[in-house]
Amino acid sequence: MKLNRRNFLSLGVGVVAGTTLSPLPWKLMDDVSIWSQNWPWTPLPPDGEVTFEKSVCTLCPGGCGITVRKIDDRAVKIEGIEDHPVNDGGVCLLGLSGLQLLYGPTRIKSPLKRVGERGEGKWQTISWNQALTEVAAKLGELRSNDRSHTVACISGSDQGTVPGLLNRFLAAYGSPNYICTPSIHDSYEIALSLMHGGRSSAGFDVENTDFVLSFGSGIIDGWMSPVRMIKANSIWKNENSKVVQIEPRLSNTAAKSDTWVPIKPGTDAALALGLAHVIIKESLYDKDFVENYAFDFNAFKTIVLESFAPDDVAKITGVDKKTILSLAKQFAGASKPLAICGRGQGKTPGSIDEVAAVHALNALVGNINKPGGVWAVSQPDYIKWPEVQMDAVASSGMKRDRVDGAGSEKFSNANYLLNRWVGAVNSSDESPVQALFITDADPCYTLSDTFAVKKAFDKIPFVVSFSSNINETALNADLILPSHAFLERYEDVPLSAGLTKSVIALSKPVVKPQFNTKHVGDAIIEIAKKLGGSIEEAFPWDDYETCLKATLGDKWDALVENGYGADPDFGVPAWEGAFATASMKFEFLGVARVRSGEKDVQAKHLFTPVMIEGNEKSYPITLMPYDSLRLANGSIGDPPFAIKTVEDTVLKHKDVFIEMNPETAEAYDISEGDYAVLNTPKGKARVKIHLFDGIMPGLVAMPTGLGHTGPDEYLAGKGINFNELIGPVEDADFGLDAVWAIRANLTKA
Amino acid sequence: MDSALIPKGVKRCSLGLFTLGIAVAGAVLLWGVYAMLLCWIKGLNQTNMNDYYGFALWIWADLAVIALGGGAFFTGFLRYVIGKDELKNIINYAVIIGFICYSSALLILAIDVGQPLRSWFIFWHANVHSMLTEVAFCLSCYFAVLTIEFIPLILENRQVDKVPFFHNLSHNMHEVMAIFAATGAFLSFFHQGSLGGVAGVLYGRPFGSREGLLVWPWTFFLFTWSAAACGPCFTILVTWITEKITKKKLVKDNVIRLLAKISGWMLATYIIAKIIDTWYWATVTAPSMGFTLMDFYSNNAFYGIWILVLEIFICGIIPALILITKTGRNNSKLLMTAVILAVIGVCINRWVMVLQVMAMPVLTFENWVLYIPSWQEVATTILPVAYGVIVLALAYRYLPVFPQEKELNPID
Amino acid sequence: MKKEHTHENAKKFGMVIDLDKCTGCGACMVACMAENNVPFKKDESEKLDSITWIRVYKLTNGKSFPDTEICYLPKPCMHCSGIGEHGHSPCVSVCPATATDYDHTTGIVSQIYTRCFGCRYCMAACPYHARYFNWWDPVWPEGMEKSLNPDVSPRMRGVVEKCSFCFHRYQAAMDKAYTEGRRELEEDEYQTACTQACPAGAITFGDLNNPDHKVHELKKSPNAFRLLERLKTNPKVYYLSSRDWVRKAGDNYLEAENKVKKK
Repeated sequence: MKLNRRNFLSLGVGVVAGTTLSPLPWKLMDDVSIWSQNWPWTPLPPDGEVTFEKSVCTLCPGGCGITVRKIDDRAVKIEGIEDHPVNDGGVCLLGLSGLQLLYGPTRIKSPLKRVGERGEGKWQTISWNQALTEVAAKLGELRSNDRSHTVACISGSDQGTVPGLLNRFLAAYGSPNYICTPSIHDSYEIALSLMHGGRSSAGFDVENTDFVLSFGSGIIDGWMSPVRMIKANSIWKNENSKVVQIEPRLSNTAAKSDTWVPIKPGTDAALALGLAHVIIKESLYDKDFVENYAFDFNAFKTIVLESFAPDDVAKITGVDKKTILSLAKQFAGASKPLAICGRGQGKTPGSIDEVAAVHALNALVGNINKPGGVWAVSQPDYIKWPEVQMDAVASSGMKRDRVDGAGSEKFSNANYLLNRWVGAVNSSDESPVQALFITDADPCYTLSDTFAVKKAFDKIPFVVSFSSNINETALNADLILPSHAFLERYEDVPLSAGLTKSVIALSKPVVKPQFNTKHVGDAIIEIAKKLGGSIEEAFPWDDYETCLKATLGDKWDALVENGYGADPDFGVPAWEGAFATASMKFEFLGVARVRSGEKDVQAKHLFTPVMIEGNEKSYPITLMPYDSLRLANGSIGDPPFAIKTVEDTVLKHKDVFIEMNPETAEAYDISEGDYAVLNTPKGKARVKIHLFDGIMPGLVAMPTGLGHTGPDEYLAGKGINFNELIGPVEDADFGLDAVWAIRANLTKA
Repeated sequence: MDSALIPKGVKRCSLGLFTLGIAVAGAVLLWGVYAMLLCWIKGLNQTNMNDYYGFALWIWADLAVIALGGGAFFTGFLRYVIGKDELKNIINYAVIIGFICYSSALLILAIDVGQPLRSWFIFWHANVHSMLTEVAFCLSCYFAVLTIEFIPLILENRQVDKVPFFHNLSHNMHEVMAIFAATGAFLSFFHQGSLGGVAGVLYGRPFGSREGLLVWPWTFFLFTWSAAACGPCFTILVTWITEKITKKKLVKDNVIRLLAKISGWMLATYIIAKIIDTWYWATVTAPSMGFTLMDFYSNNAFYGIWILVLEIFICGIIPALILITKTGRNNSKLLMTAVILAVIGVCINRWVMVLQVMAMPVLTFENWVLYIPSWQEVATTILPVAYGVIVLALAYRYLPVFPQEKELNPID
Repeated sequence: MKKEHTHENAKKFGMVIDLDKCTGCGACMVACMAENNVPFKKDESEKLDSITWIRVYKLTNGKSFPDTEICYLPKPCMHCSGIGEHGHSPCVSVCPATATDYDHTTGIVSQIYTRCFGCRYCMAACPYHARYFNWWDPVWPEGMEKSLNPDVSPRMRGVVEKCSFCFHRYQAAMDKAYTEGRRELEEDEYQTACTQACPAGAITFGDLNNPDHKVHELKKSPNAFRLLERLKTNPKVYYLSSRDWVRKAGDNYLEAENKVKKK
């Protein structure tokens, strides 16, 4: 017994020792480590052949040239094209995260038909044939009832072949209601048409200026073309050019400027006119331009000298007299001074008075159509399609008034007035829009007073979205005809965002379409063919690609090769013969005369503060939006990489922070990180407080680009959509949305 | 029922009561094991650690249990190397406590690393410059030594001892124990020191960084010293607690007082060294990096200067004074106060050398960061306590841990 | 390792970031994430566990309205050389498993993800918080793993990662040079993803030892400073700022020193 036990134990010890000394445990230890180094759930990207494909980024109007690095058929990285006229190798963070939009799990994979309530997000997958047939049937029905004019289309642009085809479709079909989303370009276009004459867009020769006077433009916060502006900012640093930023909040642009001039918000035009006063009074203006190329300088001079003396302006703007005098002298004393405006990224038209007053400053110093100045750039004109042969229905439909009133007698200068369009739909018993198409736009998110927008959508019986992922507008559609994502499609992109060059870029299918999507151009052509008759005849192309190749003609090959093509003949426009106003000269008071009803122009026609909504008693503080490059606020929301870069003093978990001066906070007995309820006449939001010394006391600022309902868990439900808290303020004479802030009150929560 | 296993000549509580006690500790243990499994399966996202607190509660627990386990090596050193023979009456318990502390430390480390399956890379791809490498090697070796020191005691169990092989093995092991004790002491000096070095070598972290001797920062020596001073205090404390629970005197006062006296002198000299170190750090090292002493303490209440006062004065100077005076040692209330303060003191020292090092911003545009451990971290930190209680209970019940127990508690 | 200390052609890659030009746009962060397969979670607003190899900090001068100033500061890994250029950077010297190493031929501090076992000692050692731990398994939403770059292996849970100065780009450029029979790279052949993407051109990258490289001159500017120079970490990332308060924010100073500095 004893012996047995002893043997047994010895055996046990032997087995343990033997196993330990055998390779088995060591091998197992090694294997388990190797396994931990190659966990099957950690992806291992396959290697392959590396190629580069040039294209253009269409995620914002900026138009950066991009080159996409591919491994076999996978796009793995977006980089900038070196020496590109817009971005010269640089890319912004939205562009850099573009592949997350391309490969995102929330792409719409096939045509969808709504089955639940609007906005509920319940969809049925349908075939393209069914989808297009349903659209054609609806359109055919409206047309046969003589209601072709009740079809509308909202688009992000009116340039290039896709907007061209949409416009053409509406013309052939019989509706004048093509409408673009608003931006500062609307104000600049109207101001230029009244001051310069003709239709042109404003180009800013930022690369060559030596003094920038910015009235609240977020130059490096995404204004116009973000990468180009940041590049220009670096040029200014190198060349020792001066930048003056005028705004009540220390934005990134203000922080990078040489002089930050905090101003009472909404009084920028008065300051511009005050500067004009000093420039005129001290005879610092460009006499050649004023005497030979301007029409109404003396009238302008009289008003400005009389009503915008530095003392008065100081009272209005809160900018002291000394600063006004010094700014005016610096501006006029610079060799290539440039005055610009368009608050933040310029996503709203803003006050046209401001544009006119600021542009008058450029005229005073003669820096119009000159290097380093503002240029009136005529829009590219390469689309030469045969005229649409309208049938009787189409021509009678095209004669109807636009729903938004743009181009009417009252708003004869405006092209599109989407803010009025919303009002028109909401104020009529039966919606004047019976069918709506939306492409390249997300009005249910980007328009102010989103509740009113959604209400208008509710009244429209048939809404079709071409979105490639579920944004707020697509969520409120009846039918989604998903377009190819960017990088999956051909499309010409004429670049216009403040560029002083004539450049057309070509978006290319870097990868083949990932899902059952269809090019918007093809969808339109197919619908036209289904409708037949003169509509079908207006589209003589087999498909979009054929149309595009034919349109671009001999430009095609170079565009495919380089991704863009610049017009070599495009040079600095001159003064001589540049103005197409009635006087054939520059008109300082072009805008003011419209305001005065073409009568006696007075100071109030040059500057009347845009009253913001809410009375001061119940809403003692002013709430302003601020734009940031890290928060895409247009029709595309932040992809995961982009939202990751947002600071924790802007967004923490689901809460958005509003910026508040410590002085204001003290009055409310509120401290950093506290919750508060923000009330405006339009809405209510629970926010957190971030104390920021760089914001004027009495003001609070909230970031734009948050509060999305989609498209994925990386973005949805984070923060508040600023547009829910603000409503449009219509300019009585021009119809544009001139809003810049709203009044609010705050209670600690 | 288990009386056959219980050593002869001593009395133990009923098995039922014992089982109940074990069950309570076992429940806590299971809670800890559950948290441990969560950490292993789901990863360290189960903790509240973050990129600023890469070292947190667990590393503190590691440092603290190793310091407290220092009673084993130092008592062993005194008993076998110096020849303080009386200490044979407490050495067994010191060894068991040390064994528990060190095995706990290893377990916590195994939970703490992000890739436990390849933690052996520390040996295979060892970087000789790293204090942690030194810690890993010495710790593992010393744990082996402690196991060897513990085995003879297990073999003395009544039933095991009946097997002649084990009887002889136990006897032979006792014979050579001095060699192991010396080896253990040598290893301990190094790993206690290298644990001190862990924070001391962080020349990018002004709060932890210390100048030193050759490759060793002063904290290297201070840690060894403080472990030698406070480890025996912990042994005394645990013995005292055991006496309270068992309602028996287990170790004679003279043994305890001897250990307390040695501890006291160690603590006194340690605290003088610590004050000199703190002084030099505050007036020379820190200012050279652009910091004043108060920069390290002034930001928030949690990491205020009180923590330094508590560590050095209340939990350093006071217990040292009590322990080095005869009246202090002979008054059991004062003695236990001193012992408890010393134990708290060394734990605070380990706490600040881990947590406050992490909390204090170095870049001027960063801020102090506070950290609250998750329940998983707390549970896995309490796990060793429950495990320790169970091992101590089993050892006390079934092994002849206290040679003086029979004499002090004669059975009628 | 020893023999490489005296390698004559040893490079010392480094960066000079012009804070006067940096607009805080964040493009560097995303360029880096896209290039290096940096994972992302559904909520990344908890910045203490958010992996961003290069992170843009917002510094303020602490003055009240309207004297407030802000400055953005992008912070990649500093690739410290340590005292005396021996490569004993705070992190390298503490890593117990040699999972992070100092490459004496390039001056780049590497991180071997498959060797790292996640002890995080390096994170405790780094005063710049340039090291990030993978607290979670990286998860790419379905389909998005197509955008992963094969040149950089995605990291598994439980290991530390950090900026590598896009070392894979160096390797690729060297491979190309070797096949063309060259031993040396042109300055523009090896550039990090953040440098390349920066719209402001604020980041300049190159060999600090090479007089032909732009960084060589830039780092000598009177406006140049490094972060925490007093700790003797010897970083290879330099910053330029014309503003005094920004340069001073780069290090800790005693009150007495501040007074002297003001004069």
